[in-house]
Amino acid sequence: MKKTDILELVSRKLAPFMFLFGLYLLTYGHLSPGGGFQGGVVIASGIILLSVSRGIETAEALFPSFSLSILETFCFILLLAAGLAGVFLGVGFLGNPLPRAAAAGVPRVGMILLLNILVGLKVAAGVSLICLRFFREDE
Amino acid sequence: MIHRGRFYGGVILRILLVLLVGGFLYLALRGDPETGSPIRDYILRRGTEDTGALNLVTSIYLGYRAFDTLGETLVLLLAVSGVLLFTEGKK
Repeated sequence: MKKTDILELVSRKLAPFMFLFGLYLLTYGHLSPGGGFQGGVVIASGIILLSVSRGIETAEALFPSFSLSILETFCFILLLAAGLAGVFLGVGFLGNPLPRAAAAGVPRVGMILLLNILVGLKVAAGVSLICLRFFREDE
Repeated sequence: MIHRGRFYGGVILRILLVLLVGGFLYLALRGDPETGSPIRDYILRRGTEDTGALNLVTSIYLGYRAFDTLGETLVLLLAVSGVLLFTEGKK
């Protein structure tokens, strides 16, 4: 593919904002449309944009495949651990162990926030891992 | 032209397909049924209080149905494992 200055500049400036928007979707998924899967895919699309425009070596230097696979499995283990915490605290598997708030204005949303962030990081790592591997296969 | 008849046939077929799919979509989306389902009313009333999430979609997929979400992430983990396994040797 022929690289141009415009493509390089735009992709370099756009990718951090895509990561930021993905993190926003992760952390505000309980208040507004968004959530773990969508935010994770947006972060992964930032990584894919970097690897398409700047070359696969640059993207792999920033996000090595080994770290991505570690992140993927580690987030899944943390997800299982967060589910088991509900078992030990008596609300069932993947239940919300946070206490029900007395005041009406205080949401007990910490569990959903944690699950959203874990799912989002896991999806971002997984999708970008698959795409980086296929791009490398292509060369 | 030889292919003109076949060309128009394809166009007519596509238009018929679009009309068919549009008809089904129109039948499906014609509006809300008058009586709400009990689970919808329950989630509208109690969803935010039960799970803490203002976004009711999130309160379903991470609150009431978190086990489904765990299964979906497991599917993605298996897909990544399969891709890494089958493309491992070729560099």
